[in-house]
Amino acid sequence: MRRLGPLAFERRLTPSRPAVLGVSLLAILAALGTMSIIFAAYGVPPLRAYAVIIKGTLGTRFGLMEVLRRTIPLLLCGVGLVLAFRSKFWNIGAEGQLLAGAVAAAGVALFTDLPPPLLLPAMFGAGFLAGAIWGMVPALLKVRLGVNDVISTLMLNYVMIYIVEWLIHGPWKGPTMRGFAYTDTFPRAAWLPLIPRSMVHWPTLAVGVGAAILVALLLSRTRLGYELRVSGESPDAAHYAGISFLKVSLVVMFLSGGLAGLAGVGEVAGIHHKLLPPIQISLGYGYTAIIVAWLARGSPLAAVVTALLFGFIFAAGDEMKVTLQMPFQVVGVFSGLILFFLIGVELLMYWRVRFLPKGEGWTGKAGS
Amino acid sequence: MRKAIIGAVLVVMAGLLVGAQEEIVAGFIYVGPIGDLGWTYAHDYARRLVDEEFDWLTTMYVESVAEGQEGAIIDRLVAQGCNVIFTTSFGFMDGTIEAAARHPDVIFGHCSGFKRAPNSMSYMADFYQVYYLNGLMAGALTETGKVGYVGAFPIPELKRHINAFTIGVKEVNPEAEVHVRWIYSWYDPGAAKEATEALIAEGCDVFAFTEDSPTVIQVAAEHALPSFAHYSPMLEFAPEYVVSGQLVHWEAIYRDFLLKVHQGIYTTTNLQHVDYWWTLPQGAVELGADFGVAINPVWEDELKAYVIQHPVFGDISVYDLVFIRLSQFADPGITFDPFQGPLYDRKGNLVVPEGMWLSYESLITMEWAVDGVVGPWPGEPEG
Repeated sequence: MRRLGPLAFERRLTPSRPAVLGVSLLAILAALGTMSIIFAAYGVPPLRAYAVIIKGTLGTRFGLMEVLRRTIPLLLCGVGLVLAFRSKFWNIGAEGQLLAGAVAAAGVALFTDLPPPLLLPAMFGAGFLAGAIWGMVPALLKVRLGVNDVISTLMLNYVMIYIVEWLIHGPWKGPTMRGFAYTDTFPRAAWLPLIPRSMVHWPTLAVGVGAAILVALLLSRTRLGYELRVSGESPDAAHYAGISFLKVSLVVMFLSGGLAGLAGVGEVAGIHHKLLPPIQISLGYGYTAIIVAWLARGSPLAAVVTALLFGFIFAAGDEMKVTLQMPFQVVGVFSGLILFFLIGVELLMYWRVRFLPKGEGWTGKAGS
Repeated sequence: MRKAIIGAVLVVMAGLLVGAQEEIVAGFIYVGPIGDLGWTYAHDYARRLVDEEFDWLTTMYVESVAEGQEGAIIDRLVAQGCNVIFTTSFGFMDGTIEAAARHPDVIFGHCSGFKRAPNSMSYMADFYQVYYLNGLMAGALTETGKVGYVGAFPIPELKRHINAFTIGVKEVNPEAEVHVRWIYSWYDPGAAKEATEALIAEGCDVFAFTEDSPTVIQVAAEHALPSFAHYSPMLEFAPEYVVSGQLVHWEAIYRDFLLKVHQGIYTTTNLQHVDYWWTLPQGAVELGADFGVAINPVWEDELKAYVIQHPVFGDISVYDLVFIRLSQFADPGITFDPFQGPLYDRKGNLVVPEGMWLSYESLITMEWAVDGVVGPWPGEPEG
């Protein structure tokens, strides 16, 4: 226990669920409060700003659909990252794995003659495999050569970015694009169906929710999930229990990379219908998903909630730019503040604060 | 006289009435930030000009919109009451055409593409004539016979500009070459600096470029070498060394189009064939390092002293040649084009036969490199 004036701080090993929820909500409220100052400084009354944002995201069908559309890639990447982080594999490479999936899907869409009913499933299959293979490379490097996973996964993002650039400027450059760096547009059969009057490619959304449930079951109900959790929480114990670190790492990154690959398939088959410059394909979803997974605290089902939160932030950013005519930097400030506070309150979850004037509290009743 | 006054009053009132029905709310969608000193800045500058000019016009803008997101942003702008929407990136083309079908009551304009719809026109302000004029000056100023060009992406637009520039260089200096480096980015000062220094190491001593920062100008000036500005007024970055350049006036197009929408000439049903391809004659582009400064006075004497034997004009200084060509371009009954035959590509094939000009279609899909271009040229036709 530590003291600061009349306040006593007690360490908790695992924060209780109400504590996590309560403190997170508090953090979001604090972020909104701080944002009010920025709105006011920019000349927009804060209450009006929040009214506009809520109306433009949660208050209309269109707004809700936009939140869902932005949630899809974050959910798929986020669930994969939750899995990786549970085994303490620091996969910072979801961005590259997403792009790998997008490339594979584009390859199938443009250069195979599959009959229409098989085309989209083949694109998803190829996208999953491409992301999985791109994810397994750092797993092998880590287990066999001891290469730091943070560095290798991060660097492979850049490799994949340049592969996409090379493809669209070189061999895959579309003859119908008048020399601009895009592939040709996919045939109609390779376009994902949308929820009517929206841009939500629902098959990818369904896959994302399904993936969250399956990964939750995998972690809690299967032998593999048990091995994975043990090797994450105590590598030594896992070693003595005869759990193969190689196998666990490969499986984890196969699934984690594969799920990010599916997100890439959804973006190109659902929204763009072509391969285009990598920064336009993903908008940093692979990186934002790291935060989605981090805030989900190891729970794939919680990732559904945190992905929705960031889907909301992305959609709210559009609404702020359009309706409030704010510069794009303000959008970054908004999401940055929410993050800052959410991560800043970590401390509060692990430390219980109690009011204990001097002289009291040393009786041991606090359990210290 | 009285009739005239009554007539005038009636016209004004009719105008007011029509104006009252034709309040335009125009939304502009930009791919970059408005502070980029390049493409997006120029569009936004034009937006502010027309917004001030017309009292029946209000404008909105959305910056830094990624490709693929334009559909959602357009829907949001329509919900805000926009009845005219401009999208200013090639990558917004398909999204704009799809949105035009979703919103048949809204008028759209897409910049730099080629697809249109009954309620969606296309527009572009092109520089190739200005590049040719810059080329004339660059050809006169190079002492090593090597002119450097830092290009963003090897796409037809840049190939057309570099070819026109090279045609200008060769017209006054047949032995000169244009050395090209690509940096694969619209904005990358670091890469632009490296490319410029590599070109200097190759012996280039005059520079032109396509990149949204004044980096090439600054690096060249550090070596006391002249250069040509791109897109924005860049004279202030090196007042001694910027010779001339290209400037854009998007407001010329926005003014004309919005006025015609306001007057009811352009509607939601008649834009299928409306394609603004505006250049010097329409005032959509300007020759110069700064507005109103076609040629930096610092370089006037040198350009006047460089006299060539011209097949059409006889003995003429490059300074005079630039202004003769400029007046030819400004003439609505255009009497000269840089891409007039005979023109050979750098592999020796005759591309434009004697007496022929290139069509608009050939200009906007240009992949070949004209004789005199040196360096990599991705997408160059075989043979």
